[in-house]
Amino acid sequence: MKRVLTYVISIAALLFAWEMASLAVNGINHALILPGPFDALSQVVKNAAELQRNFAASAWRLILAIFISLATAMPLGLLIGREPTLDRFFSPIIYITYPIPQVALILFLFVVFGTGSATKVAMVALALFFQILVSARGAAKNIDEEYITSVLSAGASRWQVYWHVVLPATLPQILTSVRVSIGLGIAFLYIAETRAALGTGLGSFINKHMLFSRDRAFAGIIAMAILGLLLYIAVDVIERIICRWKYVKKMPLK
Amino acid sequence: MIDVHAVTIDYGQGEQTVRAVENVSFHLDKGKSLALIGPSGCGKTSLLFALSGLLYPRSGRITMGGEEVNTPRRDVALILQNAGLLPWKTVWQNANLSLLLNGEFPQQNAAEVLAHLGLDSVMKRFPAELSEGMKRRVGIARALSTSPSVLLMDEPLASLDTLTREKIQDLFLNLWHEHGFSLILVTHNIEEAAFLGQRIIVFTDRPARISAIVDNPQMGALDYRERSPFQAVMSQLREALEA
Ligand SMILES: Nc1ncnc2c1ncn2[C@@H]1O[C@H](COP(=O)(O)OP(=O)(O)OP(=O)(O)O)[C@@H](O)[C@H]1O
Ligand SMILES: [Mg+2]
Repeated sequence: MKRVLTYVISIAALLFAWEMASLAVNGINHALILPGPFDALSQVVKNAAELQRNFAASAWRLILAIFISLATAMPLGLLIGREPTLDRFFSPIIYITYPIPQVALILFLFVVFGTGSATKVAMVALALFFQILVSARGAAKNIDEEYITSVLSAGASRWQVYWHVVLPATLPQILTSVRVSIGLGIAFLYIAETRAALGTGLGSFINKHMLFSRDRAFAGIIAMAILGLLLYIAVDVIERIICRWKYVKKMPLK
Repeated sequence: MIDVHAVTIDYGQGEQTVRAVENVSFHLDKGKSLALIGPSGCGKTSLLFALSGLLYPRSGRITMGGEEVNTPRRDVALILQNAGLLPWKTVWQNANLSLLLNGEFPQQNAAEVLAHLGLDSVMKRFPAELSEGMKRRVGIARALSTSPSVLLMDEPLASLDTLTREKIQDLFLNLWHEHGFSLILVTHNIEEAAFLGQRIIVFTDRPARISAIVDNPQMGALDYRERSPFQAVMSQLREALEA
């Protein structure tokens, strides 16, 4: 209950700041440049059907991209982090490719694979792949050796070490990188969706309305923010379930 | 039954080699207890890891019951310095880790061990919810879960307060009498060595070499701490360590 209340208060504060900014910007320019939150929110209601369709398109692209990058980058990152031979081979490759701005590849991907949904998902997945790979590798390298020694002395096989130690020990950090990936993924998805003419998704909705009906564009931005928020909440819930051991420590009563 | 013959342990290769243990030999009969004591960083843990099959000596041989030790064995249990509990597993899962890894289901015996150690009310808790003393007891329960014939312990009671420490030392003594396993205890606490070791090996600074062997045949009673041989053994150990 208390948590819901703090959410409400912080959202109200955000809307208030937005309203102030809008009044200031529009006042200085004597024109309607930055729509206020209430204009945007009323557009959310008016365009509900169209927004819903685009929301669904963006949401499944983003979720699919996160799953693809998790399913590939997490096992690879954990393996590289734990197996020195693999690390020696892959690390130079990662160091060279990680800093390349993946956005630069968007047009290239469009040329090669067309402008369909698959390319957009691939684009986002590619960007998140590195994010998750690097953090999984780092987390795997930092595991307390005592845990490894502990299960080895109890007779664990190599794969049991991964299952009983490496995976659970790194999950919290990997989930943190998934949270970062949500923000990053939304940014990449926006870019990918706006680069394709006449596409679906919130990115193209926002882009389409930005020039001539800005309050509608901001309705799209609100929808994107909600998408991000819902995914954050989902990750929090998942973490509370699968990393329950992290949350058992209770604070002493005051 | 346990035979350590001219064991030398090195870390690293070439010029950066760190020698942790040099030419250590000893013998331990079945069911006896041995304490290893030496200055911090001298190589005690390394020797214990070699005994548990987690690392290989550069040279020399370790055998148990005539078989060479080169991988962790089921009849040898190791208790680590911080009990080695996995934070993401409950007390019950931690205590039965060796069995669960083997695809076995914990028997009646496991629940009894936990009850005996006063852990039956916390079986579903995670390590973060336990006191330090409880964590050590979970570590002990885990070690006993496979009914080992050899128990190796690496400073199992470091950083505990004196009272808890003595209580668990008493517990070790009782368990040792009850279960009849061979016991090798690494410690840098002189009292602990004198209370639990029938024989005590004193190591030099790194690389660990045997500098003295102190026999302690009168140990084994719970009130040994108040007896005069205990004091005598302690001063012998102190002298050997200072030498
Ligand atoms: N993996 C390793 N790589 C390199 N050197 C190591 C490694 N493990 C231990 N050493 C070195 O070997 C020496 C002995 O270490 P060890 O842990 O066996 O000592 P110890 O007697 O158990 O010390 P303490 O009483 O502090 O636990 C130390 O100098 C340590 O720095
Ligand atoms: Mg040590």
